[in-house]
Amino acid sequence: MKRSRTAALLLMSTAPLLLTACDRSESASREGLYTSVEACVAQTNDSNTCQQAFAKAQQDAVATAPRFANREACEASYGKEKCAERNDGASHSFFGPLMTGFFLSQMMSRNGVAANGFNSAPAFRDSGGGWQRPATGAGGVYRGGAGTAMVPVNATPNRAVTVSRSGFGTSGSSRGIGG
Amino acid sequence: MRLVATAERPDWRAKAAACGFGFHTIDDAPYWDESAYYAFSLREIENDIEAPSEELHAMALDMVERIVGSEQHMQQLAIPEPYRDWIAQSWRERQPHLYGRMDFAYDGTGPAKLYELNYDTPTSLFEAAFFQWQWLEDQLARGQLPAGSDQFNSIYESLVEAFGTIARGIARPFHFAAVRDSVEDQGTVAYLRDCALQAGIDCGALAIEDIGLSADGRFTDLDDNVIGCLFKLYPLEDLFRESFGQHLPRSGLQLIEPPWKALLSNKGILPLLWDAHRGHPNLLPAAFDDGGELPRGWVRKPLHSREGANIAMHMDDGRELRTDGPYRDGPCIRQACHPLTTFDGHYPLIGSWVVGDRACGIGIREDSSLVTQDSARFVPHAIIVEEARGVLMA
Repeated sequence: MKRSRTAALLLMSTAPLLLTACDRSESASREGLYTSVEACVAQTNDSNTCQQAFAKAQQDAVATAPRFANREACEASYGKEKCAERNDGASHSFFGPLMTGFFLSQMMSRNGVAANGFNSAPAFRDSGGGWQRPATGAGGVYRGGAGTAMVPVNATPNRAVTVSRSGFGTSGSSRGIGG
Repeated sequence: MRLVATAERPDWRAKAAACGFGFHTIDDAPYWDESAYYAFSLREIENDIEAPSEELHAMALDMVERIVGSEQHMQQLAIPEPYRDWIAQSWRERQPHLYGRMDFAYDGTGPAKLYELNYDTPTSLFEAAFFQWQWLEDQLARGQLPAGSDQFNSIYESLVEAFGTIARGIARPFHFAAVRDSVEDQGTVAYLRDCALQAGIDCGALAIEDIGLSADGRFTDLDDNVIGCLFKLYPLEDLFRESFGQHLPRSGLQLIEPPWKALLSNKGILPLLWDAHRGHPNLLPAAFDDGGELPRGWVRKPLHSREGANIAMHMDDGRELRTDGPYRDGPCIRQACHPLTTFDGHYPLIGSWVVGDRACGIGIREDSSLVTQDSARFVPHAIIVEEARGVLMA
């Protein structure tokens, strides 16, 4: 079949939409960003998991870090001496940032004990001091390929006093916009 | 590929009203037209539309990589100097993209020919993804279509999947913005927002005109929250030109479509693609325009024209055709003239949707002129099982 199996509307429909209830278990998850295995152990008291998480993140770092054609471009984003030459195994060489930390996330059971298994990911620090992680989910509708999109880690909304509006949209009144 | 006359659903206007499809009729002229549909074979869809779309999409992304490394290409595409590093950076970071539409001339014979990439602000999305889908389901249920008929249209599923995939890469708060008074554009962002919500992404809506600026150059919503990510159904090149534009590169605002899409929604991509893949069956010969007289067999298009505006066509037989519009100044390209084929006096243009990196559906707009403009009507399509035809022809 070349078409969607269903095509639901949530907001646009005037008819009530039947939503499939999804039973989520009451489990919570814990995630930390650590700059060293020691910092991770201090927080989690689980040196085995911390070491494995670090090793896996380091392994993933080459594949998921942003890729740059030359050192200058990489250092422009990640700072001086924060980049290394890499090779993807198919004789394509490129530059990528060095891993500066790692994430560890674990599912926690109700009594606060970490369940078996964990997820980890490399973290990178840009030249502005912000932390980034690779976006999840290469594959599927998106092709993997030359590096993964990076996600800023600190995404807390902030506020600012607006001093002016209507600085966008002046081209819009005279014509249709879409193509 | 055939045009097949068919009975309309008697209740389609009520159905349109029930799902918020307010622009099925625009300025008293029909826009949604289900008095006929285009019938395709599965082979036509898969070999002639789907596979070339994915291939061209990959070629286009490869070309972005080349353009960001070339001041000369940036110049050819008329990218304003203050935005070039920002655009290049957005590509290096692979800032997530959502969707695009390729327009093809195709009539069932020979390869589909790429007219252009609408990779920044494509519309006609809701009618392709949802209303066309509903038409097929209804007409199958009513027995108006041969049993087993299908449609090349997993646009909806792909959109929800794409939003889910990039969800963690979208800065919050996340707003969808379009021009306040454009019913069609507002309908398109309402649908995209609907899909984002279905993917579990909390998001708001905002008129482009209501975006605010703080003293330190950040963009705000009506509650003075700094906008994290903005889906803007508004051309990047217009944002660049307008008074707030200069603040974009340092504002921290994430855009969808991302800044690097300015390189693909630009018709300058067409000569660059042709130079890199000369003779590709789905590409038309193209070159940057030198401003001289347009020879026979060529079409002139401004780099940024939308809705078929300011197109000049000089056909092989000497006939000339020009459309009016607001893009009179500025650089142009030339593309080999490859006129649309007529089906009963209509000229269908195939819009091939690419969500994420997947070719996932088509929508057909037909105009009564060779240049598809905002006067075009949307006509649904179906994939018809072809087994009966051999018998008829025997």
